[in-house]
Amino acid sequence: MAVMRNLLKTVLQNNQGWFKASLGCAVFISCGLVQGFQNKNTEPYVLKFPTNFGSRYVIPADNPTTKEGVYLGRLLFYEKALSANNDISCESCHQQKLAFTDGKAFSTGQDGSLTARNSMSLANLLWVRNFFWDGRSPGLEDQARFPLTDAHEMGQPLSESATKLMNTRLYPPLFKKAFGSNVITGDQILKALSQFERTLISAGSDYDKYLAGNYQPTAQQVRGLQLFDSSPDAKRGIRGANCGHCHGGVKTFKELFHNNGLDSIATDLGREYFTGQSADRARFRVPTLRNIMLTAPYMHDGRFSTIEQVLDHYSEHIRKSPTLSTFLQDVSNETGGNNLALTKNEKADLTAFLGMLTDSSFISNPAFSNPHPVINP
Amino acid sequence: MSEPKFSSYRIAVNFLLLLSIAFSSHAQNKAILSVSGEVTMPLELKLTDLASFKQVSHKVKDRDGKEHEFTGVPLIGILEKAGVTTGSKLRGENLAKYVLISAADGYEVLYSLAEIDSDFTDQVIILATAKDGQLLGTGEGPFRIITPNDKKPARWIREVRSIKVMFAKN
Repeated sequence: MAVMRNLLKTVLQNNQGWFKASLGCAVFISCGLVQGFQNKNTEPYVLKFPTNFGSRYVIPADNPTTKEGVYLGRLLFYEKALSANNDISCESCHQQKLAFTDGKAFSTGQDGSLTARNSMSLANLLWVRNFFWDGRSPGLEDQARFPLTDAHEMGQPLSESATKLMNTRLYPPLFKKAFGSNVITGDQILKALSQFERTLISAGSDYDKYLAGNYQPTAQQVRGLQLFDSSPDAKRGIRGANCGHCHGGVKTFKELFHNNGLDSIATDLGREYFTGQSADRARFRVPTLRNIMLTAPYMHDGRFSTIEQVLDHYSEHIRKSPTLSTFLQDVSNETGGNNLALTKNEKADLTAFLGMLTDSSFISNPAFSNPHPVINP
Repeated sequence: MSEPKFSSYRIAVNFLLLLSIAFSSHAQNKAILSVSGEVTMPLELKLTDLASFKQVSHKVKDRDGKEHEFTGVPLIGILEKAGVTTGSKLRGENLAKYVLISAADGYEVLYSLAEIDSDFTDQVIILATAKDGQLLGTGEGPFRIITPNDKKPARWIREVRSIKVMFAKN
């Protein structure tokens, strides 16, 4: 730094006026460039998570996570003015106490109609690379646009949302702080929401404590974990539920799309709608199992209301079709069997393990709750 | 009573079989493999486009524990066609290139470029299109990577949709 200062001093003392002027210009311009990426009034928000989650995520360079942006995003997440009739916010379908789901098979939009698919949990989205059940959206900023503007969800153009927020006393100074501009734009709404969503990290369950060596699971939970992670091998006497094949690893999801045998003839084409390839028929995202006991009903259409029904499905009711995942074919705990054939006790063991994925600190974290004053609680 | 029942059952089965064959061959013809990233010519390949490449076969033991003969084209040949820095050009910073291969279900595996190049290794990694003389079916094909020297077949990625050549950046 001292060297730089001396150099600058020498340059400024020994050179002509035009050189000083252009040097000043260059400094001014480069400051402007830096400001474009991070507003100088903002403080970086440090995302905290256990190292075993890994750092395979990308935060867009034009939307760094800042304390101001995250707080604004949290206000917007709970803001009903973002819907056409001022009666729905993101929270309506993503309630914190239910790990940001709504407990319904399908959700009701501003026009009174139902959504096409089940509301997904918003946990650990930082690591998700393809959003929605069909993975059609490559990033959070892009994803948020759909529920905000779709006629069957919040149903309001982003420009209209921006205008509404401009006419409040609350929002203009907060947007100014977060993004350094006097005009609120739809883009900034998407960015702020995404910043908040990146902070929704669930890593405080009993399972995490167990992995860190701070929790002693029950014998039943240990058996459940063993089944969860094992592939069945009848010949060698190994029993397994094979869950880990798609839900393995600490995040309990892999970035995969599979047809999990719900129907022999699909009513929802799933990923095929997006890719146009018939090989993708009825393939859906492998969702996270974190907080799974809180996020019923299950599957893209919410057809199963209990975890027992889900386990029964994978154990005994897989339906064949041309695109059925190869991982769900001819996998059995019985020699020559064609389904998993888990026992009643094994299903109970698995349920006990899945309960370890409930993160009470996540659903009660005050940093994720509604920041607006509640008038009629 | 039992006879007509049996034959109508057979007709139904045959019909379903026909349907599934029609389905899978339709899917095969439509499936496209993209080659992109650090290439001079991005490629969008269909199964039929591979006929002009050199064909190679490997007899290897698959996940089912049985030996199968996989036939396809050397992966390096496809990379050469796309203008990737192979052979004499695979030096200096190009040694920091990797090949990310993705499947229809989102599964991904990675090879370093040098692992695939014939100047570096005698192993011929192939993009297989047939197994034991039959085109690869749904769930496996139309394209699958076979890496004979890999003891564990986890990188024998099925349903390949995309091959991306990238620079390692850190």
